[in-house]
Amino acid sequence: MTDFHAPEPGQELPELTLRFTRADLVRYAGASGDFNPIHWSDRAAAVLNLESVIAHGMLTMGRALRVVTNWVGDPDRVVSYGVRFTKPVPVPDTDEGVEVRVTATVKAVADGRATIAIDALLGESTKVLGSATAEVRLD
Amino acid sequence: MISDAHVGRTYPPTEPYVVSREKIAEFADALGDDNPAYRGDAPVAPPTFAAVLAAKAWGGLFGDPELDMKLSQTIHADQRFEWTRQLRAGDAVTAMLSIDKVRARGNTAFVTVSVALDAAGDTVCRAISTLLHTWPEEATA
Repeated sequence: MTDFHAPEPGQELPELTLRFTRADLVRYAGASGDFNPIHWSDRAAAVLNLESVIAHGMLTMGRALRVVTNWVGDPDRVVSYGVRFTKPVPVPDTDEGVEVRVTATVKAVADGRATIAIDALLGESTKVLGSATAEVRLD
Repeated sequence: MISDAHVGRTYPPTEPYVVSREKIAEFADALGDDNPAYRGDAPVAPPTFAAVLAAKAWGGLFGDPELDMKLSQTIHADQRFEWTRQLRAGDAVTAMLSIDKVRARGNTAFVTVSVALDAAGDTVCRAISTLLHTWPEEATA
């Protein structure tokens, strides 16, 4: 594949499949300090009409960025990253959990920076992140 | 309840939080990310670790009696980060929150806040969040 120092608009980054299990949510709750019960209690999730516990939006956002950092190597190259949280990621209480497929495409290259659009899909067509865009330094 | 009148309000910075190698490794493990930049003697933090420090400043917002906002009635609608560099082990980071925008409709409001994360006198990250807050119906009747 093309070296990341000289990307071209339209170039696709190697995709990533993320698996979320309940254990991942517990670990992220502890590491982040976000103990909102909708991420570990089905009872609390039901109060908000959710079918089950859902992943922390910041966990989905943080893990999806790996599609970019795996490509550039050094996370210090990331200068901006923004997403909308469009749909929750329900995580069943099973060993398999749930999968989210992350793809990314170079949208623009200018002034030593590349703008990358990221898509995160649950199942065939549910976009869990909207307008997800990261900007990286190429120098 | 929060309104346009609160745009521009800022809260005092949080006490400095010292980023440690151990915390960086724990956070990278929680993301399932084995990037070597997050390990070793002088690691950087995974970029979205900034959210952990920014959230410490949300206390100002939820603790402001005039706004009547509760974390449990809040949904994270969007999130953006702008970095001059990534946080790294040894940084002593303060977080200062400002209310940037309020769009209130009925018993809900979209509240955009930005948090400046400062280390050694420089802002290294700005974390901008839009929070959708819902008040119980009776409170606004």
